[in-house]
Amino acid sequence: MKAVFRRTLTMLLLLLVSSFAVFAAIRLSGGDVTAARLPASASAADRALFRQQVGLDKPIINQYFTYLRKLATGDLGNSLTNNAKLSTLATEKIRNSLILGGSSMVVIFALGIPLGMLAAMRRNSWLDTGITSISVAGMAIPNFWLALISIYVFSTLLGWLPSAGQGGIRYLILPTLVLSAEGIALTVRMTRSAMLENLGQDFVRTLRAAGVSERRIHFKHVLRSSLMPLISLAGLRIGQIAGYALVVETIFGWAGVGQALVNAVLRRDYPVVQLFSLLLVVLVTFGNLMATVGYTVANPRLRK
Amino acid sequence: MTLFRRARRNKQLVVGVILAVVIAVLGIVGPWIFGAYDKQDLLSGHKSVGTPGNFFGTDALGRDLAARATYGIRISLIVAISVTALAVVLGMGIGLVAGYVKGRVDGVISLVIDFVWGFPLILVAVLAAASIGSGLLPVILAVGLVNTVAIARVVRGEVLGLTEKDFVVAAHAGGYSTSHILLRHIIPNVIPVALVLSSYYVAVAIIAEASLSFVGLGAQPPTPSLGQMVSDGRNFLRLNHWESTIPGVLIFVMVLSVSLIGDGLRDLLDPRLRTAVERASAK
Amino acid sequence: MTRALLGVEKLSVGVHVSGLSYDIVRDVSFDLYQNEILAVVGESGCGKSLTALSMLSLQSSPPLRVTSGVVMFGGKDLLTLPRAELRMVRGKEISMIFQDPMSALDPMFTVGTLLTTAVRAHQNVNKARAEEISLAALADAGIEDPRRRFGEYAFQLSGGISQRVMIALALVNNPKVIIADEPTTALDVTVQAQILERLLVLKKERGMSIILITHNLGVVASVADRVAVMYSGEIVETGSVAEVFRGAQHPYSHGLLRAVPRLGSAAQSLTAIPGRVPQPTEISAGCVFAPRCERVKPMCHEMRPALEIRRSSAVRCHNPID
Repeated sequence: MKAVFRRTLTMLLLLLVSSFAVFAAIRLSGGDVTAARLPASASAADRALFRQQVGLDKPIINQYFTYLRKLATGDLGNSLTNNAKLSTLATEKIRNSLILGGSSMVVIFALGIPLGMLAAMRRNSWLDTGITSISVAGMAIPNFWLALISIYVFSTLLGWLPSAGQGGIRYLILPTLVLSAEGIALTVRMTRSAMLENLGQDFVRTLRAAGVSERRIHFKHVLRSSLMPLISLAGLRIGQIAGYALVVETIFGWAGVGQALVNAVLRRDYPVVQLFSLLLVVLVTFGNLMATVGYTVANPRLRK
Repeated sequence: MTLFRRARRNKQLVVGVILAVVIAVLGIVGPWIFGAYDKQDLLSGHKSVGTPGNFFGTDALGRDLAARATYGIRISLIVAISVTALAVVLGMGIGLVAGYVKGRVDGVISLVIDFVWGFPLILVAVLAAASIGSGLLPVILAVGLVNTVAIARVVRGEVLGLTEKDFVVAAHAGGYSTSHILLRHIIPNVIPVALVLSSYYVAVAIIAEASLSFVGLGAQPPTPSLGQMVSDGRNFLRLNHWESTIPGVLIFVMVLSVSLIGDGLRDLLDPRLRTAVERASAK
Repeated sequence: MTRALLGVEKLSVGVHVSGLSYDIVRDVSFDLYQNEILAVVGESGCGKSLTALSMLSLQSSPPLRVTSGVVMFGGKDLLTLPRAELRMVRGKEISMIFQDPMSALDPMFTVGTLLTTAVRAHQNVNKARAEEISLAALADAGIEDPRRRFGEYAFQLSGGISQRVMIALALVNNPKVIIADEPTTALDVTVQAQILERLLVLKKERGMSIILITHNLGVVASVADRVAVMYSGEIVETGSVAEVFRGAQHPYSHGLLRAVPRLGSAAQSLTAIPGRVPQPTEISAGCVFAPRCERVKPMCHEMRPALEIRRSSAVRCHNPID
């Protein structure tokens, strides 16, 4: 447990460092509000004066800590696009992304684990070959293409589901499926291979020799051992979903953090870019931490 | 059975290589055959597949899709392969140092590796684009960084394991020099793993580059990128879906072939993969 | 003549998949009687473990398969029992303990959970009662602090203790037979003695019958009542331990016994059996031991000897030692 504590601390430290790196990179590449606040005709001297007044000429480290302080007090700044308060903007976007991301995580494991188990238990049958092949293909399809195809098929052609926007479960279905696709495929493959490996272990033979039913062996014993790598997978998946969400939210017009970030980068809306980049970095770090910690907690060998 | 013969029997590998060759040929030869990718012909607009003179048809601006697609293949492949190759060399180097020297050096390296490793490539690329601006450069940097770290991580693990193994300890005891041990014993054992891993990351790189150019970051017009082409064709799906479909299919085939090659290589190079018979009869 | 509790008749087990077809265990027959310890002894790789596993259909089924033979128990052939009935036999009538206890216990569960699972697989009792039974079994297996071990995980136990846990697992439903596959091979010598002693106690106090698979003649001498000698997949001799050790009839058993160095005797060169054990794919016609036998006759290369019952023992040889 001490190791877990130390790991958390180092992660936090690294989080600080990397968020600073992102901050510095954006600020130093000219990503401050000067260009937006001053007219284009402003002279270099004007700009320098402005910077001095606003505090943009201080060393970058100081700027960083000022920024953090502001964040802590709830002053998140304003978007350059429409001068909206970022605090309200952020809450709304975060909520939307959580809905989409959360649904994705649930779908990934609710579908992936049972399918993987099924494939392992019916090894080499048509069912197994089918499931495995679809998984391999599923991991190769770029998600934006999958998004387009599904929109084309389910929305344009069949008209069953809406193609973009929000407002109810119907709008959630396609984006969630597209976002989950790769995760499901990976989970299926990992569950299957973990189960097959565990099925060949000696302890399964002991259980059989003791007369324990095949069903119990599979569902209670083999599954338990197979779930361990999946915990790490889940933690890492959080980060992956954060990444894919950028593209999926954009395509489906889902007003979440991902879409906002992409638009902000294209429009050079630096406060938004800054804030949302930070958010995602925190989220991914959290997910990775969960992955390592989770593994330790789940394995009785490592717990003691 | 020699390695080559076993390779031929591995279906995944064979299919993967065939697909890869097809793609490579298209990418290398295509732009020559099909001509310029930015020649516009605004009057004719969309032409469908099979029109004489435009094998794959044209896009909304009258540009030949075949030319654009094959050039796009080139870009994807160049970015993915060159960056991954560099990452393999760098990553192996870092991993070797960390795993062999251990101690404080390893501690620091591991810290950085553990942190970067979990970041999704797309996110890193977007952050890079946010800092530097759009274009291929942030994509290359991001792909390079993530690949290097991922490979370093695996190589480090392997090297750590290897240094514990008896034959390395024996080599030390026998007085062999560090470079000899590294060159003759450690590196040959690490290369297969690195190869398999890098094939996975080539696939990831291809998807990342495509995704990024899809949303508008990445390669800027008029340079064609497959992801960008898919995005351009979005609004015309009913009219001429080939505009999106063709680049999409090409991306899919590229990623699939690389994945298959990776899987096939892994099956091939894993010495623990004795046949079930051998294992069972060994009792 | 009392009837055997468990009778293996002409059991053959082998590999039969596309391209490969050979038997590893060939025509194995032996009987296990009430309240005795039967040792099956032979070199590593002679097929004794595979024989034991196949009796309960626990062999790795693709690619290993039983090709012929029956295993009679309670009037039924275990090899053709439907799955549900076989499950009723495993752990309840016939139990098995394995060679490497550390890897044979599920690492994700406590000893207690594993035991109660085994109990409730066969007995319709509630959790508390299952715990009682499990604790009693742990005590029977010779564990001193059953309560403490109950809550521990396999990786926390030493080799000797985990093997006793396996024994407890085997005892929990009161079986008539225990098949012990090299139970002491992975353990220290002192612990070995304790485990063997425990097996003897089980035989005496519970009237159990035990099939003890081993490659160690010392183990055979110390606990077994009868012994079956295996060579390259075949039974070459069976008999009471006293008979066989005093005067082995098969040249291989004889050679085996002669090869054991004796403490206290003047240093002489060790007598080994020349040659090596053939691969299962290399078996030709005739007696399987002929290439290495010092009593070989021309007939030995042509015709495979049958297992002949002489007096209270059996031997598979054209030219047995009298």
